[in-house]
Amino acid sequence: MNNQNLNGAPKILVFSTEKISDPAIDLAGLLKVHYPSTVYTINVPCSSAVKTKWILHAFEKGFDGVFIAADGTDCPYGESCSKLTGEIVSVTHERMKEQNIDPARLKMAAICSVCAEAFAKHVKSFTEYLSKEKNTN
Amino acid sequence: MVDKNNQTSYDVLVIGGGIAGEESALNLAYSGFKVLIVEKDLSVGGKMIHLSKVFPTLDCSACITTPKVSETARHPNITIYTYSEVKNITKLSEQNFSVTLVKKPTYVIESACTGCQECEEKCPIIVNDQYQWDLVARKAVYIPFSIASPRVAAIDIENCILCGLCEKVCPADAIDFTQEIEEIPINVKSVIIATGFNLFDPTVIDRYGFGKYKNVVTSMQMERQLVPTRPYNSVLRPKDGKMPDNIAYVLCTGSRDETVGNPICSQVCCMYSVKQAQLIMGALPMADVTIYYLHIRAFGKGFEEFYQQSLSMGVEAIKGKVGKITEKENGNLIVRYEDIREGKVKEAEHDLVVLSVGILSNPDVKAMFNGNSIELDDYNFVKQVDELINPAKTSIDGVFVAGTASGPMDIPDSILSAGAASSETASYIRKHQVESSK
Amino acid sequence: MKKKIGVYICHCGNNISDYVDVEKVKDIIAAEDGVAIAKTTMFACADSAQNEIIQDIQDNNLDGLVIASCSPKLHLFTFRNVAERAGLNPYNYVQANIREQTSWAHSDNPKGATEKAIQLVKAALAKVKHSEALALQKIPAVNTVLVIGAGVAGMRSAIELADMGSKVHLIERTHFVGGRTSQWSKLFTTSETGEEIVSRLYYSVLEHDNITLYMGTEVVSNSGSVGNFEVELKKTPRYIDPDCKIEDDTEFENKLQKAIDICPVEVIDEFNFGLTKRKAIYKNFKSEFPECPAIDAANCTKCGDCEKVCDGIKLDQKEEYTTIKVGAIQLCTGFDPYEPKDGEFGYNEIDNVITLQQFKRLIELCPDKLIHKDKEIRNIAYIYCVGSRQVDGDNKYCSRYCCTSAIFTAIHVKDKYKNINNFHLNRGIRTYGKQEILYHQSSSQGDIYLQSFADSPPVVGKNGNTTSIIINDILTADKEIEVEADLVVLVTGMIPRKDNSIGNILKVPYGRDNFFNEIHPKLKPVETVIDGVFISGACQAPLNITETSKSTLSAASKANSLLKSGEIELEPTIAQVKSDICNWCDKCTLACPYDAISKIEHKGKQVAAIIEAKCKGCGMCLPVCPENAIDLIGFSDVEIETMIEALIE
Repeated sequence: MNNQNLNGAPKILVFSTEKISDPAIDLAGLLKVHYPSTVYTINVPCSSAVKTKWILHAFEKGFDGVFIAADGTDCPYGESCSKLTGEIVSVTHERMKEQNIDPARLKMAAICSVCAEAFAKHVKSFTEYLSKEKNTN
Repeated sequence: MVDKNNQTSYDVLVIGGGIAGEESALNLAYSGFKVLIVEKDLSVGGKMIHLSKVFPTLDCSACITTPKVSETARHPNITIYTYSEVKNITKLSEQNFSVTLVKKPTYVIESACTGCQECEEKCPIIVNDQYQWDLVARKAVYIPFSIASPRVAAIDIENCILCGLCEKVCPADAIDFTQEIEEIPINVKSVIIATGFNLFDPTVIDRYGFGKYKNVVTSMQMERQLVPTRPYNSVLRPKDGKMPDNIAYVLCTGSRDETVGNPICSQVCCMYSVKQAQLIMGALPMADVTIYYLHIRAFGKGFEEFYQQSLSMGVEAIKGKVGKITEKENGNLIVRYEDIREGKVKEAEHDLVVLSVGILSNPDVKAMFNGNSIELDDYNFVKQVDELINPAKTSIDGVFVAGTASGPMDIPDSILSAGAASSETASYIRKHQVESSK
Repeated sequence: MKKKIGVYICHCGNNISDYVDVEKVKDIIAAEDGVAIAKTTMFACADSAQNEIIQDIQDNNLDGLVIASCSPKLHLFTFRNVAERAGLNPYNYVQANIREQTSWAHSDNPKGATEKAIQLVKAALAKVKHSEALALQKIPAVNTVLVIGAGVAGMRSAIELADMGSKVHLIERTHFVGGRTSQWSKLFTTSETGEEIVSRLYYSVLEHDNITLYMGTEVVSNSGSVGNFEVELKKTPRYIDPDCKIEDDTEFENKLQKAIDICPVEVIDEFNFGLTKRKAIYKNFKSEFPECPAIDAANCTKCGDCEKVCDGIKLDQKEEYTTIKVGAIQLCTGFDPYEPKDGEFGYNEIDNVITLQQFKRLIELCPDKLIHKDKEIRNIAYIYCVGSRQVDGDNKYCSRYCCTSAIFTAIHVKDKYKNINNFHLNRGIRTYGKQEILYHQSSSQGDIYLQSFADSPPVVGKNGNTTSIIINDILTADKEIEVEADLVVLVTGMIPRKDNSIGNILKVPYGRDNFFNEIHPKLKPVETVIDGVFISGACQAPLNITETSKSTLSAASKANSLLKSGEIELEPTIAQVKSDICNWCDKCTLACPYDAISKIEHKGKQVAAIIEAKCKGCGMCLPVCPENAIDLIGFSDVEIETMIEALIE
């Protein structure tokens, strides 16, 4: 993918969490672990707080992908986080199918607070996937 | 190292900014006490901030330490002096200790440095990086490590050639070669010793070949290879950079061993080795890991289950005492051990040997007190004089001990011990306040 | 919506400006709606810059502030403080992360970094336009702690809390303090006895005006939340006139002794783990506290014989109920020893097989010679890990204290009686830390250690009159070895209290080993998911006495700092229910990990309501609501959606 060609690059919205995954994304910057500049982050307290409505709003407004950088088992709010975040994703996938949006455009992965490399890897491969989809469609 | 309030008296002096020191400081700060943390290193966070994932929950150590570190740094009741030491602790009366604080120069103005690392890039001097346990190199002007707090540069004057390049490139004018050692007298009402531990130096055991055979490493060096911010981004053996596929752990290196003067058990090595074995299996799925042990001490909450899990993942545990390690020409190592179950002496070949080094006392403590007045136990840890009921009490009223300064312990135990120290300190201060107001 | 917003773009030396064209960002943002001031600054965090921003806010009456700089993790609080000093509500400040997540992350792509910075600042602007001015909420809290259980953990914590200035209600279900520790004699490491420890603590508890001790008392219900719990207590009578004091009245003491002698009811003495019997009116040992005997209501037949010989006995005492108000609760309910199944290593089938706990009591009951079932004991075999590290059973965990306890007891026995031989049939000795020295000591005084693995446990059998144990000893190359023993001691571990119903009343979760569970072993080791409810000691996991003291003092410290100021600060970023939209369906209460949602009446219908003192602002209730009736303050739909729009513009 050519980073300079912004018009073509898929835009990804990341929902990160204040205590766990956002620090990892910060660390990626600190370590100069690069990823596409078309990845934007919105911070929430916990990944299980992300509303389906927000995700669908992002698609409606033109985002190509949404990535939930989940707390996983590190969530400071409790063990049910992984399960609830998983449910948000599956409910949203259903809604996406109804609206003819490719469910693969919503991804989730647990990102621990120092998982900088993992984060970059995820958004890079997600970008690759989305640009392929963009070009074939 | 900026003293937020320019004060010279505090309620509590906490010596050591590791996890135990921070936990006690935070507890006390939240109860309204003014706390001074003095850390001899460039960053707070102690040993824990350098660990990878921690047993038995396998959450990453940095994820637990860094929020505590920033909470401590931000708390209005806590002042932190890094790269500083204390001496001449003298008890004048109850709730009245005089202490001399020694601030060592870093030649960088902490409040000015933004951590941009421009200086690091330009510095021509390359030396071993002690924060990576010498696995890689750093510059003579350097930020200790990526999650250091404060995350500012320091100049290692021993190695610096005073070329002045750093001073030229620094956009914040933060380099200051005129800094000198500063001694500051302070007064405190009580003291918490949270000076942590030292790791056993395995060069003492000649027959294990550490320092001689490159592929014999310490568990701390392995730990650094397993952290998310690891230097090689993989697990490599030092001699030839090959990915190891048959790794041995030698437990009780420097523990339970009268011959090296340390008869006690270090309490954490079994578990951290089991943990590293699990992490290695994740990082190098094809690798075999063998643990040579005397007794597996998986005693804490969730530990035994964690050990059993590692066995079911395929870690091989051999009850056996390792006698000698020798090197083959290809860098592989021959481990000669007594297989206790079979009652035979055997040999096995491994391509990397990890020495699970034990916990020793930190001998710095004694000299901090005037007249060496703090009592130590038989193993040179700070003596707990009323261990069952007041586990933080030391031989000096008003001086308390937290974490591994009083003996080997794991992280959960250190944190609880710090909790005990903070509440005993709070009671001590309050009791004497009540008495003096009577 | 705000109209006078100040925006500052930080160079951060060169850290941002080397890759992000900060002037371009500023120019574009300056043209946005609602922006009153847009500036670049070399170091926004520098004192001079902070003062300039404060001046700007005051001079121009700014109603919102955006700073585009480093990660909010570094300076959110710095800049909130700047806002506050300028008289602007700190929650009307939003930070855009254009260093860690922009200039550094995209240092390979300055053009992209600049574009991204513009979008991020626009998003921050969108958010600040809709942000609400918020104030930290404070609720009054009672600086009183309910400590449940008057064993070592409970008493130790009560004393510490009182020392630190809290009031304490210390309740104990039985009629005597000291819990398990009062049952043990010499203790590792100090060789103090359990009795000594308990009496030290008991007198210290009595000395404190701030501690109220309730005997025979348990919790029946609990309501309220952190800072203000209302707990109902039930007190079972002791059936002794509280005005009659045994301490200074030998006549009364003699009468009570007569009452004990005359009592016709004999029951198994649990204090001695069934080795002896006791009456329905009883006291376990002479210096037990409180010093007065008690009548055990469950076994007393109310025959009245005792009342006839002792006028201080009042069989007409009734149960009493009281409600107390406390700010925090600390659970120190301890453990039960594992009770082996019939036939487990010969237990209850072969008469000289007893548990470690029984053995410790037996030693107390035998002053000169160690006698069990009329036979003098010389050879003792200890079988380790009974009820712990089970291969087939549910107890997978290690009980932590038993290796050291058994070895320490073995040393003590050898010390106390003549001609004792100890055989330790173990599964790997776990005398961690300094306890290792005991293992050393026992080995060097001639104790024999034999070890087997979990898959081939030792077998206890009767061989005519003698009891013998067969073990495949791996320490001698798996040889089969037979040990003849006069007494077999099963080294039984700790299990959670059989009656752990208190956990259900307080809604404290259990771990997979069924002990009470903390939130996190390192971050919140004595806290539970219920705010204001703490756990410590062996109700949480097997612990020895030193470890119990550490954990209970930690909990005391947390409880005290929570309540010390008399009020609890609550973050204002909590959930909010739009009552008009809510059609109570219960989904949010199920999702909430903090029990922070209640059902209330609103305009004739039932709706959900957030209990502010309990809500932690995680937002887990948001997505599960089918009506979208819940918002999180600071993360409302309009804030998030306008941010999304700004990012994609």
